[in-house]
Amino acid sequence: MEEYDVIIYGTDLVQSIVGAALSWQGVSVLHVDKSPYYGGASATLSLTEIKQWVESNNNDPSSPFDDVKLYVSRNIDTSKYSIDLSPRIIFSASDFIDLLRTSRVYRYLTIKPLTMFHTYKDDFFDKLASTKEDIFTDQSITVQTKRALLKFMRFVLNYQSESSLPIWTDFKNRPIAEFLQAKFKIDPIYSNELVYTLGLCPALATPTSVGLHRIKKYLTSMGVFGSFPAMFSLHGGPGEIAQGFCRSGAVGGAVYRLHSDVSSVDPDTQSIVLDDGTNIKYREKLVIPSQQQGSREVRRLVAIVSNDCKPWFGEGESAAVVVFPPGTLEGNETAVQCLIFGAESQQCQSGQAVWYLSTTEKGAKGKKELELALEKLESAILRESTEDFDIEVSEEDVILRNGTPLISSVRLGQSLKDFVPREKLQYLAKLQYVQHETIANPVADNVIPIGSSAFDITYDGIVEQAKKIFSQITGSDDDFFNVDFEDEDEEDIGEVKPLGSTSNSNSNNNSNAEPELTFGDAMEV
Amino acid sequence: MDAKPQTSVKLVLLGEAAVGKSSLVLRFVSNEFQEHKEPTIGAAFLTQKCQLPNRTIKFEIWDTAGQERFASLAPMYYRNAQAAVVVYDVTKPASFVKARHWVSELHAQASPDIVIALVGNKVDLASDDNGPRVATAEGQALADDEGLLFLETSAKTGSNVQEVFTALANKLPEPAAASAATQETPDHIDLSAAPNKQANCAC
Ligand SMILES: Cc1cc2nc3c(=O)[nH]c(=O)nc-3n(C[C@H](O)[C@H](O)[C@H](O)COP(=O)(O)OP(=O)(O)OC[C@H]3O[C@@H](n4cnc5c(N)ncnc54)[C@H](O)[C@@H]3O)c2cc1C
Ligand SMILES: Nc1nc2c(ncn2[C@@H]2O[C@H](COP(=O)(O)OP(=O)(O)OP(=O)(O)O)[C@@H](O)[C@H]2O)c(=O)[nH]1
Ligand SMILES: [Mg+2]
Repeated sequence: MEEYDVIIYGTDLVQSIVGAALSWQGVSVLHVDKSPYYGGASATLSLTEIKQWVESNNNDPSSPFDDVKLYVSRNIDTSKYSIDLSPRIIFSASDFIDLLRTSRVYRYLTIKPLTMFHTYKDDFFDKLASTKEDIFTDQSITVQTKRALLKFMRFVLNYQSESSLPIWTDFKNRPIAEFLQAKFKIDPIYSNELVYTLGLCPALATPTSVGLHRIKKYLTSMGVFGSFPAMFSLHGGPGEIAQGFCRSGAVGGAVYRLHSDVSSVDPDTQSIVLDDGTNIKYREKLVIPSQQQGSREVRRLVAIVSNDCKPWFGEGESAAVVVFPPGTLEGNETAVQCLIFGAESQQCQSGQAVWYLSTTEKGAKGKKELELALEKLESAILRESTEDFDIEVSEEDVILRNGTPLISSVRLGQSLKDFVPREKLQYLAKLQYVQHETIANPVADNVIPIGSSAFDITYDGIVEQAKKIFSQITGSDDDFFNVDFEDEDEEDIGEVKPLGSTSNSNSNNNSNAEPELTFGDAMEV
Repeated sequence: MDAKPQTSVKLVLLGEAAVGKSSLVLRFVSNEFQEHKEPTIGAAFLTQKCQLPNRTIKFEIWDTAGQERFASLAPMYYRNAQAAVVVYDVTKPASFVKARHWVSELHAQASPDIVIALVGNKVDLASDDNGPRVATAEGQALADDEGLLFLETSAKTGSNVQEVFTALANKLPEPAAASAATQETPDHIDLSAAPNKQANCAC
């Protein structure tokens, strides 16, 4: 009988990371997936594959996906689109970026910057005042608020230090908005930006401890690889990255077997049977996704639109975040988060964009809020792309930076109330679904269940989960990607600089002289 | 340091077990040959630069295992590959049948812009008294039908090996012509560069 140390069922992101980490420690790994593609519930699929995915979900009662609906225009080539089932963005200062570096999986990816984080409020889209510079130049913020924001930012960068603890420990499990109001006198309108847009926290009652962690992550991410806080991978996110780890695992010696279902598991004999009858033994552990659904769910709406959405992107970029904080969509209690990707992300064709909307609000309420958010996005982008302005751009909409006029994205902030679009936005495809969380329930000593983790549009928690499973198998996470890669091509290192530091050499944009003010500076005060 | 623009190109090698894929890469990357090279397990990843008169192509090479048992890896490699080398052994007609299969698989699944080279390896063994041989004309005909580059090589003597990669590099579209849209976007972020450690990391 065939034998491996560890059998991993499913190639979702966490499983793929664990498989690669194990194979580099000399553990023999068999990786099995029932689908003909990698990534499981985080897969990146073409629209053609999405069509099959919709069908297979509707015929599979054990699927964590539910309420799946798809519309695809007849006039598009469905093979030319890459859709992420659970899209995510990477923060520059995060354990995930560290993992991409230490595992060297970044070499199989193309990573691009993401600067723009928009907040929707009172029928306005606002670019975030997220750097000291932005806050100082933003005319709409009062001096008092400016001071409060800067004070908070200084605090949050060091919030875990001994001297800072007393300030927030009482609030640890209370909503962060309460904390910001009580301790820093920051109004909800600004705390919304901090909590939902910078921190990308989904729920209204995000506890202070979580909120602080996430806001800090945004702030410390600025300037790490350049003057942007976040990044994304081309061709798709988690699905592409899961594949990267499987490639790494394959180089490390793991065996991959797609399109094979596990039909039975026997923990007593430590063996599994595949759907073709093959019997395979595992000497140590079997890692298997749990099918037990938890109470949380995420509802998604993916739309491919006939608009390049450039106005929302930073210069030369092709992705943006838009957040609808609580209270902006007829009483939503959870934020609706949107990731916008343009054609250069390689997810769609030129002149188009992919919008990923998601909420953790359940049922009909969640569905309605996503649709409302979609409507708002639609009018915003139509307004933005309209050539003949009915509404004039006022002077405040143009920010002067070093004497160069720069239409800020505050232009998005034209009130949408009176705007009647001349044209309609064309939807080339629309996909909706609900994804239920699954909870890891122990089965047997040698079977490690794994729960799903798709409720975040960042990679927070992924590395932690992967390390935990790795330690359950090997006893500790000391050797997690502790690898001396032999094929080191050193010449590369040093030849390239991080994007931000090259602004003097690669520049035909005139923002060279722009001071690089990030929160790093705030700390020195 | 030269100032030629550098482009990274993902390249995948496909072909039956033991036709000499890894040996071709070894010859290309380190100009070496091993008489008894072990079969590749899973896959291998190597990089090598190819200098053209006005630009540098950095090949990121995925060498797949011909005996990869569940054929689960190759699709992942050719999905985003810009170049592919399909290898057969000129002394093994069966490996040429397999090469045909890979070519049609690439046409069906890979990017439509992928540049493919068909390579008949081990020509040093193809003397008259060595049994059957896949005729050069046969390889050339397949290449003509399918729009592939075609070369016969020997990883052992080194004959034509460099030429395979140079020919691929030359056939790859110039970045400027590749897409006007990607021109204006900044180059991708290279994570091998040390991040700017912030002075404030007091935690
Ligand atoms: C010629 C024609 C044009 C249509 N144009 C639109 C349209 O512009 N906008 C629209 O929302 N619905 C359009 N519909 C679809 C129709 O309105 C849907 O049946 C309705 O939205 C109910 O969808 P549903 O939620 O029951 O699920 P389904 O019909 O299963 O649709 C799933 C999702 O796709 C969307 N959708 C379905 N068809 C289209 C489509 N053709 N264009 C864009 N989105 C679509 C639905 O709104 C829904 O969000 C069109 C249908 C036809 C036959
Ligand atoms: N005479 C001769 N032998 C070769 C040549 N190329 C490879 N070989 C030999 O053929 C055998 C197989 O070569 P590999 O490079 O391992 O073949 P591969 O295609 O990578 O095989 P897999 O990794 O199993 O798919 C080795 O013993 C090589 O030494 C060649 O051009 N001439
Ligand atoms: Mg080999």
